[in-house]
Amino acid sequence: MTSSGAPVPRRGIQRREWIAWFTVLAVVTAAMVAIRGRLNEAHVTLAYLLVVQGGSARGGRPLGIALAFAAFLSFDVFFLPPFGTLTIQDPLNWLVLVAFLGTSILSAQLLYRAQAEADAARERAAEIDRLAALGAETLNVGRAEEALTAIVSVIRSSLHLDGCAVYTTDAKTRDVRLASQSGAAVEHSSASDRLVDWVVAEGTSAVEQVDGTTSVGAASTVLVAGGEPAARVRAFLRPLQVRGTTVGVLRISAGGGLALTPAQVRVLDALAYYAALGVERVRLSAEAERAVVLQEAHRAKDAVLASVSHDLRTPLTTIKGLAHEIAAGGDDRAGIIEEEADRLNVFVAQILDLSRITAGAAVTDIQPNEAEDLLGAAAQQVTGRLRGRELRIEVAADDGLLFGRFDFAQTLRALVNLIENAAKYSPPETPIDLSARRDGRWLVFSVADRGPGVPADQRERIFEPFYRRAEQPPDVGGVGLGLSIARGIAEAQGGSVGLSGREGGGSVFELRVPAIATEELAASPELLGDDTESLRRR
Amino acid sequence: MQGDVVLVVDDEPQIRRVVRNVLTPENARVIEAATGREAIDLAAAERPALIVLDLGLPDVPGLDVCREIRSWSSAPIIVLSARHSDQEKVALLDAGADDYMTKPFSPGELQARVRAQLRRARLAPAAGPGQVITIGDLVIDPVKPSIKKNDVAVHLTKTEWELLRTLLKHAGRTLTHSQLFRAVWGNSSGDMQQYLRVHVRSLRRKIESDPVRPKLIVTEPGVGYRFENEP
Repeated sequence: MTSSGAPVPRRGIQRREWIAWFTVLAVVTAAMVAIRGRLNEAHVTLAYLLVVQGGSARGGRPLGIALAFAAFLSFDVFFLPPFGTLTIQDPLNWLVLVAFLGTSILSAQLLYRAQAEADAARERAAEIDRLAALGAETLNVGRAEEALTAIVSVIRSSLHLDGCAVYTTDAKTRDVRLASQSGAAVEHSSASDRLVDWVVAEGTSAVEQVDGTTSVGAASTVLVAGGEPAARVRAFLRPLQVRGTTVGVLRISAGGGLALTPAQVRVLDALAYYAALGVERVRLSAEAERAVVLQEAHRAKDAVLASVSHDLRTPLTTIKGLAHEIAAGGDDRAGIIEEEADRLNVFVAQILDLSRITAGAAVTDIQPNEAEDLLGAAAQQVTGRLRGRELRIEVAADDGLLFGRFDFAQTLRALVNLIENAAKYSPPETPIDLSARRDGRWLVFSVADRGPGVPADQRERIFEPFYRRAEQPPDVGGVGLGLSIARGIAEAQGGSVGLSGREGGGSVFELRVPAIATEELAASPELLGDDTESLRRR
Repeated sequence: MQGDVVLVVDDEPQIRRVVRNVLTPENARVIEAATGREAIDLAAAERPALIVLDLGLPDVPGLDVCREIRSWSSAPIIVLSARHSDQEKVALLDAGADDYMTKPFSPGELQARVRAQLRRARLAPAAGPGQVITIGDLVIDPVKPSIKKNDVAVHLTKTEWELLRTLLKHAGRTLTHSQLFRAVWGNSSGDMQQYLRVHVRSLRRKIESDPVRPKLIVTEPGVGYRFENEP
């Protein structure tokens, strides 16, 4: 950690250690000189070794080596004859001196390595602590925005940064917004904003230099301490990604140049992941809030529709009732009032249907239903409404059971709309043909008329709400919602309504809903099998 | 129909007036209530032969009024509602209502339903379970049991017979899918809709003159089935 985030106090401590240990060396030397007569080389070697090792343990490798050389010189000058000079009489004493120096340096080196490893372990433990704390904070903080703020301040304090900020991107508009910051505020300039946008768009890191220039695509290696670039780096921007999508940007800055050790880069990577999760959580909670608001809006709309339908239908009931009473008295104008009230009622019902379809609430009761049942109900419902036209019903007899999965009441409404549409546009003396058949995975209801047909270029347009054909006879009632409602109902249950020309003139409307394989039904013993016991046998 | 008491429940005086006019040719004595509480009190005091009940009451939900009256009275209840909701219809029929009309209703239609309900209520005790029923070309003997169409014996399976007997017992009244299912199969498990549809279809093929345009077993869309004894 020689050039880490807090170098100044560290250097002060070292100076004190140097002074202290050289003092110790001097004191030990003086003490041994005083009793020199009773000492041999081994005593001196051991005493000096202790001092060297103590020094390297407290002051690091440089102090240890410096002490070793100083001790080497003192040994030579004070304890190897002739005393007071560097010369050595006995060549064997050279061996003693060199061995002492080697041992001292080696032990300083070993101690240093052991200490560096201990430091790294401590660092890692602290890192794990920070991550654990951050993880807990991310999970515990009640509001998602507060969690993000907590993450930002943890990143700043654990990496000793001047400033840290997180930007979030909007999932739909891709708008980038400053979500949270800690420490030195980000100076906003168009250049720095552009850089944030760039990081979001590209999903790679970028570096902002002190002189305002930027270098992009730079990996975080730029930040590793010691190199020249570090001093010129003002800020580092890193994309925050969750499942491969960039959800935001982390910007860290230091006024006096940004430099990180490899360990700090590792911490930054881990913390950035938490920041990304925090951003994601902010986004999800905002989405949940929006969903609640939307739901409220739907509820309000439903309430309005319900009360509108009530408030329109109640007076219509009175109008119809009174018109009926007057008609009984012989005034034929009352009959017209009643008819018009009916028309208004149909209109109200259709507007409500359409709003339910657009709200996605057109069908609510999808069940296994049988085709013949639907045809019968449709025939019953249009009775008296076809103005003399014959309704012919045909069910493909050899198809056995024709089952589909659909909402009976709503599909009936769709089918009735198609029949009434056919009745509107076909001559009174021609029949309308209604049929049901199976077509692969579809149950198909078709309504065929002998009207003028619809030109190919209008076959889609007639399904638009309020669309009315130009050549339409003036007496045709309705507002042009029947077909779009029919299609909306079919599509809401996975089906469709289509129109094609009919051979020999006219139109064929086909309403498709998902079919149920009748083989499945026949194979269901509890469905059909309990009927083996017949009445006669009883 | 002389002297039948009919209770009309609606908070709107105009609607009460329309219903009263519908009932005039029936020679019924009409009593009126504007709230749910009043309706329950009047029904208890006057024992009406028929109740026409609007659902949009200011105090008590119409469904609760219906359930309350049904718990001690067998008088037919015809419900009027401005909401066109099948779920509401099913809930009301399950709560004991006999018929259901959506606003705006045609006065002629209401009159016909009132007549049908009054007649059914009057005949109900007389039509014992053992009586032979003749409807058009159909002769049904529920005791034997046998069924003849144009003097030709019709072969019914056990389930079909149970279904027909249930419908006949409540002829003229719409039975919801779950009511029918419970009566015929005895529980509500299994694919109720599917079972019912299959057996209604086969029963129609045996007793209806035109099974695609049924006149006897009528479908009430999204709600259930009704046996029409006067097609």
